[in-house]
Order: sequence, then C-alpha cells, then structure tokens
Amino acid sequence: MGFLNLQNSHREEKLNVIDVTVPRVVKKLRNPMRSSSKVRLDRVTRFVLWFTLALLAMLIIFPLGNILVTASRESGREVFAALFSSSVTQQIVKNTILLGVTVGLLGTSIGFLFAYAQTRLEFRGKRILHIISLVPLISPPFAFATAIIILFGRSGIITRDLLGLSPILYGFPGLVIVLTTSFFPVAYMNILGMMRSLDPSLDEAASILGASKFRVFVKVTLPMLIPGIASSFLLLFVESIADLANPLVIGGDFTVLSSRAYIAINGDYDVAAGAAYSVVLLIPGLLVFLLQRYWAQRRNIVSVTGKPSGRISPVESKSAKIALLAVPFTVSFLIVLVYITVIVGGFVKVLGVNNTLTMEHYSYVFSGIGNEAIFKTTLLALIATPLAGIFGMILAWLIVRKIRRGRQAMDFLGMLGIAVPGTVLGIGYAVTFNHTTKLGNFGIVPQLAGGGAIFGGALAIIMVYTIRSSPAGQRSGIAALQQIDPAIDEAASSLGASGVVTFRKITLPLIRGALLTGLMFAFARSMTTLSPIIFITTPDTPIMTSRILSEVDGGRFGNAFAFSSILIVLVLIALGVINLFVKGRPTLSLTTPID
Amino acid sequence: MSKTSQYSAASNGSSTEESESSRLELINLSKEFGQGSERVIAVDNINLSIHPGEFLTLLGPSGCGKTTTLRMIAGFERPSSGEILLDDQDMSKLTPDRRPMGMVFQSYALFPHMSVYENVAFGLKIKKLPAKQIEQEVGFVLATMSLQFLANRAPHQLSGGQQQRVALARAMVTRPKVLLFDEPLSNLDAKLRAQMRIEIRQLQQRLGITSIFVTHDQDEAMSISDRIVVMRNAQIEQVGAPAEIYLHPKGIFVADFVGRSNFLAVDKVHAKKKSGKVAIRVLGKDLEVEAHESALQASAPVLLIRPESIRVSKSKSEATTISGTDGRVLNVVFYGEHVEYSIETEKGNLVAVVSDPKYDEIVPIGQMAEFSFDQERAWLLPADA
Repeated sequence: MGFLNLQNSHREEKLNVIDVTVPRVVKKLRNPMRSSSKVRLDRVTRFVLWFTLALLAMLIIFPLGNILVTASRESGREVFAALFSSSVTQQIVKNTILLGVTVGLLGTSIGFLFAYAQTRLEFRGKRILHIISLVPLISPPFAFATAIIILFGRSGIITRDLLGLSPILYGFPGLVIVLTTSFFPVAYMNILGMMRSLDPSLDEAASILGASKFRVFVKVTLPMLIPGIASSFLLLFVESIADLANPLVIGGDFTVLSSRAYIAINGDYDVAAGAAYSVVLLIPGLLVFLLQRYWAQRRNIVSVTGKPSGRISPVESKSAKIALLAVPFTVSFLIVLVYITVIVGGFVKVLGVNNTLTMEHYSYVFSGIGNEAIFKTTLLALIATPLAGIFGMILAWLIVRKIRRGRQAMDFLGMLGIAVPGTVLGIGYAVTFNHTTKLGNFGIVPQLAGGGAIFGGALAIIMVYTIRSSPAGQRSGIAALQQIDPAIDEAASSLGASGVVTFRKITLPLIRGALLTGLMFAFARSMTTLSPIIFITTPDTPIMTSRILSEVDGGRFGNAFAFSSILIVLVLIALGVINLFVKGRPTLSLTTPID
Repeated sequence: MSKTSQYSAASNGSSTEESESSRLELINLSKEFGQGSERVIAVDNINLSIHPGEFLTLLGPSGCGKTTTLRMIAGFERPSSGEILLDDQDMSKLTPDRRPMGMVFQSYALFPHMSVYENVAFGLKIKKLPAKQIEQEVGFVLATMSLQFLANRAPHQLSGGQQQRVALARAMVTRPKVLLFDEPLSNLDAKLRAQMRIEIRQLQQRLGITSIFVTHDQDEAMSISDRIVVMRNAQIEQVGAPAEIYLHPKGIFVADFVGRSNFLAVDKVHAKKKSGKVAIRVLGKDLEVEAHESALQASAPVLLIRPESIRVSKSKSEATTISGTDGRVLNVVFYGEHVEYSIETEKGNLVAVVSDPKYDEIVPIGQMAEFSFDQERAWLLPADA
C-alpha cells in the first residue's frame, strides 16, 4: 500500500482496527432484553409488581401446587407406583407417547409441506390453501372428530355408502387423523414464519457456488429450518398429549393420560388419582416448553446477517410440483369436507341416514340451556380476553423494562398458563377452588368452582380463560417492547411521566396492534377450549364446548353440529371486530428501530 | 501484504494473466416482469461488452434495471429475450449453478449455520475437489483476506466488514470467470466502505477477474471502476471511463446523477470548425467551450459547470444588482476544507464549492459576490428529456 498518498495513509491504520467492533456486536446479541431503567423501581411500579405476583400465585401457582399435594395422597401415590408395576398404566403412558410422537411427526411434515408450497411454489389457489389451513386453529376440535366419524367411520357416508368399507376409526387411527388435521396449522405457521424470514440470497449464494436446487435445499435451506421443525414437533407433541376432547370422542379403547385422568375424576370420583395422572402429563409438557424456549432463543442467531435481498426462485418442474402439492391439497380438501359436514349436519335430521332438512337442531340449541351456554360462554370469554391482554402486557412490561433479577423466572411463571396442559390446569382448579380455602379456621378464598360456588362458578371460568390467554398477550408484548427503543420511555419520564403513566400513554398505544392480534387468537382459543373447563363447569354456568361434548356423547350429532357452527360463526365475528380495531391504527412502524 | 503476494504467486500461471480473463457480452438483453397491465420492462434491449479483466460498474437510481441485469448475468432471472455470451458461449439457458461465476451479495448471504471456513469451502466441496486441495485453497484465500484467525467463527460473530470479506473470499475461491457484486458495500459505514473499495479493486486487479459491480453510489462507482455504465429507465444512458462520465456527460441526467451540477441556459451557439469547440454567449460573456457531439443539434443546449469549478470572491465593482457574473449570496456553509455557497444569479441559483478557503475572503450571507469559472472547465450538453 506504499503507493497511497499522504492523505490516504490514515486509512491504512484503520485497516488494522476493524476487529475492535466484534465484541460489541456479540454482546448485543447475547443480551436481547435491554433494560432502560437501572434505577430503583418507583412505588407504583413496585405495587404493580407485587400485585402481579399475587395474581400469578392465585391463578396458576396455587392450583398447580394443590395438584401436587392432592396427587401425593394415597390413591395418587398408587398411580405413581403403578407407573412402574402395572402394565395397564404403562400401556396408557406408552399410548400417550405413541400418539404424541405420531401426531408430532405427521403434523410437522404436513405443516412443512404447506409452508414449502406457500414459499417455494407458484400455483393457483395459493391464498385459498393458506386460509383453509388456518381454519382448524379457530374451531372446536371435536367438530372435526364428529365429522370424521360421520364421513369415514364404520357407517360413514364416504366409507360405507360410497366405498363399501367399514373401517374402525375409534382409537389410535381416528385420533391420529383428527389430531394431525387439528394441530398441523401450528407447525405450518411456525415453519412458514421461519421460511419467510430466510434470506433468499442464501439460496442464490449456494446456487452460484455450483449447488443444484436439491443440494441447496439439503445443505442450506433445511439446516436453517431445523430449529423451526424441531420446535414444531415439540409443540404438536404437547398439544396432542394434552388434548382431552378428542380422546373422549374418538379415542375408543385407546386410553391416554388425559382421558384416564378425566375418567378417574368423573367416573371413579378419585380426585387424587386424577391429579396423579395429570402430574405425569405435566412433566413432558413443561420439559417441552423449556426446550422450545431454548430453541426460540437460538433462532435469533439465524437471521442476523444483513438485510434480506433477492427473490426465491420457485420450483418449476411440473412433476415435482404435483408431488409436493398432493398432500397439502388432499388435507385442504379434507378440511373443507369436514366443515361442510359440520354446517350441513346442523340442518338435516341425521346426516347420512335421514337427510331431510330441519331446523330442530337449531331450535334445540337456541332454547333453554343451549341458549344460555352460547350467551354465557361468549360473555365470559369477552370478559376474560381484555383482562388477559392487560395482565399479559403488564407482565411483558415488567419483564422487559422494569425488573432485572428474576425476569426469566417471571416470564416462565407468566407462560405457565399455556405450558401446562389444559387437563392439568382444569384438575388443578377443581381441587383448589371446589371448596373454600381456609387458613386455620379463617376462609381466605371462597369456593369459586363447582356446585354452590359464588357467581355459579363463573369466576373460576374467567380465571381459567384469563390465565390461558394472557401468555399470548405476554409474548406479543415482549416482542413488541423489545422493538421499541427504551429512549422513548426515557423521553416520557424526562418529561415528568411516572412509570405507569408512561406505560399507559406511550407504550400501550405503540404495542396495541401486536396485542390485539395476540388476543384475537386467545379469544378464539377460550371459546373453543374444553379440557380445563370440563372439570369446573357447573349447571349454573353452562359452557358451549362442554355442551357439545355431552351432545356428542348422547349421539345427538345434529345438535353438536349446530352448536359447533354457531361457535365458529361467533369466533369469526369476534375476529372481524378485532380486525377492524387493528386496521388504520398506528402501530410499531412508527417507532425508531434499534440500531 | 506478504500473504497476499503469496497467494498471487501461488495462483500465477492459472488465472492471473490477463490473457486468461474472460469476455462477457450482453446482446439485445431484455427482461419483463408481470403480464398485461401490470407488465413492467425492467431491462430494455441493452447491449454491452465487458472486456477481459475489466472492472465495470452498473450505476443508476433504484429501479433503473441495474440489479436485474446483474441477476440475469448470474442466472437468477431468466432474460425475456437476448443473449449473454461468456467467451462466445451462450449462458442464458444455464441455471446459476452451471455458470462459472461468483457473486457477492448485498446482505453477504453467509450461511449462518456454517463457520467462516465452511462458508468459504462450500463451493469447492460442491465441486467435489479432494479434501487436501480444498484445505489448501481455502487456507490461501483466508490468508489473502487476513481472515485465517476467524476461520472457526460463525458469521454472526463477525463485524460487517469481516462478513463482507468472507463473502468475497467465498466468491473468489472457486476461481470464477466473472465476479458479480450486488451493492456489496451498502451495509457498511462510510469509512469501511472507502477502505473495502480499495481492497476489492486491488484484489480484482491482481487476479484479473472480469468483474461487474452494481451500485447507486456515484463516488463508489467512480473510485472503483475501469468503466461506468449509467442506466436509467431500463436502458443504458452512457458508457465510459469515470472521468468521461463526470466531465463529459452526454446529458443532464448523467451529469446530475454522478455529481452536483450547475446548468446554465446559453444564448448564442455556433460551432468553431478549427478547434472543435463551440462559441456561446452566457451571462453576458462570450466563451469557447467543449461540447458533446449532439449538443449542437439540441434545441436548447445547456452549459454544465461543476460547483468546484466556480470561484467566488467579494464583489469589487460594488454592484448592488444581480447581473452577469455578479450575484447575491443566499447561503454560506463552512465545512473547514471548503466553503459552499448558494448564489442567486440572473440565470437562477448557482452552487459553488470553494476549497482551501481564506479567512477574510469568505463572502457573508446577503452580500454581493463575483463568481467566475474557466471556460475549459465548462461542458456544453443537450438538455435531454
């Protein structure tokens, strides 16, 4: 570099110092949660912190603790012992794991194919395929199970009437079909998000280095998707072992832990045994949740290199396209068929047997207890959803901006509501709130659930909905808050706003979009959830999902279909309304990006 | 630098000699996106010949078709029509993996799940070279780019400049016949960018690889290229060496894009046969200036004077009205090594950059100033559409 003239000589010096920047970059990556305030918490914030902790204790810690206490009673201990001695109990555990692994593998594969089709293939009906694949996310899963029985069961419309077959769906095969179709959208969304965030120029870089399309996929694309694929598998595993509705409807003799726990409580009236089964269920649930968090944190590393550019070149070989699209289209067709069955099934006498049009199912559903269930379920979900949103946001705000020590623990506690299988949560609430909690002779918590509870047990249901939904608010809140420059908060406090005022006036408006979207799904989830509710619902407070289950149990499929259709419509209306709120509002895009 | 020469010595006889560099030709190349009313012509029938070993830059505003042209050369976009000839062989039917080219991406596109070493070795492994040779070649290139001590790091552990170097090493190690650069420096800060320009240029000259560089930054284009292709609206506006593009632009667009310009409307124009110059009258003065060949045919030619060609002094004539070369200072910005004036004249506002300013000669805002320029530094060009 001797030829450089005098003016340029300083550049040469700079050449040797570039590496100084490295440690800074790395540090930034390892510390994604930036905290703005290094000062002591103000009084109001401290009050909020303690109040939040008290709520968490009441909503989740106390019920979970009670499960452990209950499970340690004699019949509970017998269940634990049976894990090692009784072949029946071991079979139940094996069934549960087999079901989880099968649904996990199948659902992830289907979800992957859907995501691949969306991102890497050009074909007609792409948008419709996307919408169809999301439908199972917002509808009661037993609508699916029931429709599948009517279509493909022993006397199914398609299997017997069209094909002359009489397969036995009840049990493992039926469960796999129903759970896979119900849960694959979770994997799809997960992998889709990941594939969309992949920088297309990575593929281009590999191909210009000489790699064929197939090798690019195997060597570059696939390895980067591994975290997404693995976490999808784990999510599906947990969702399917935690599910209660489908094992009850279509499980037949194939008993899994959740249905065993249900039978223990509602059949054998052995609460301790039920609690013990649910503890066994809780362990893999929590393990997977922790693993998933670990992967989610690793995922951040993948997308750090520069800004994405280029364009994905779609697969063009016709035979490859057909092969890749076969599964997504078959599954979509199945979903459409199922929902047509649900809707039509509500309007005919007995679908497949007596197809006379009738309104009797709807008039049954809209009269008396059915009507009450529709009203109360919607009301309770509408009360719980904003509560959950606010609670989740406050948690996010505390975690990202306020507390320094124990933020990981706080985050974990907040997420427990979703990490714990619904069956476990429901049993926890039942053993905790079905009677007055006393400290000595002094009642500190009145009876909230079960017959004779205050507000007819409605309070316990709102609590369950809230703790199941607040994690959605918490996650979107954390994601949003991390993108908002702490300097915005600091600007507000330098202008004299207290911590709470800053949150209400500055932070909340900025994250509203993310919050509402998170809550949209939370609401849909509340409306369609069964497993935690079924243990605490009372005749005073009928809930739609448990009504549907009893209609299905009684063989009154028409009523169940009518109920399910109404439920789907209610969820869609709620989603539409929330969408109206989100549109046209300033959201995150207004804020300064952090470097 | 000793390691660098080691690499060039090692690769001597294989690819360093200019005679082995490749020629790339684009013939009637076009690219259209979309159909019907949404049809967009991204590249409109361009012809270009890139000499062996040349460093050519495609320069233009966003949407001018420069990136699409590069991506067609790489094979990421299929041309709607036309040919891409590399040493007389048509490339346009080949997929990217079959083209002997290397590319450095704007986002660097380092494989995040591979180490620096694995990233650089990727292309050689795909080529199924023996392990020993891969090790050697990767070692050489890493040493050339002063990256050997980072070989085991993951991309996300590197600074922007280091990632850039790895991307370059990965593109070079396969000894491509053509190197393509898609705005590779736009994610770096100004100082690093200036330094990487020099590094890229030196490396390219040493290896003699025919290179095409896409940028929208005119400083970058001028400092790095043998020739610049200025593109606009899917077409080539002008091709030439940096000095030619800057000093003798063919029209207002090019002049304006590659630097700051003053355009003066001229009054009288006629050609001077002998000198090849053109006689004009502007600001009340008769000048003889150089002109673009099509300037005389243009209905209204304009005179280009770069801000740095204009001298500014306090008005001696004590004039109080704006006329001829007397103007009023609208704004003065002092930068240290130069002063920038905005001056109101009878032909509109002028920008003047006076370097190496003298303390008591700076004209304050609102005062009259006298300005002047050498007629040799002016350039007459047609006012293009």
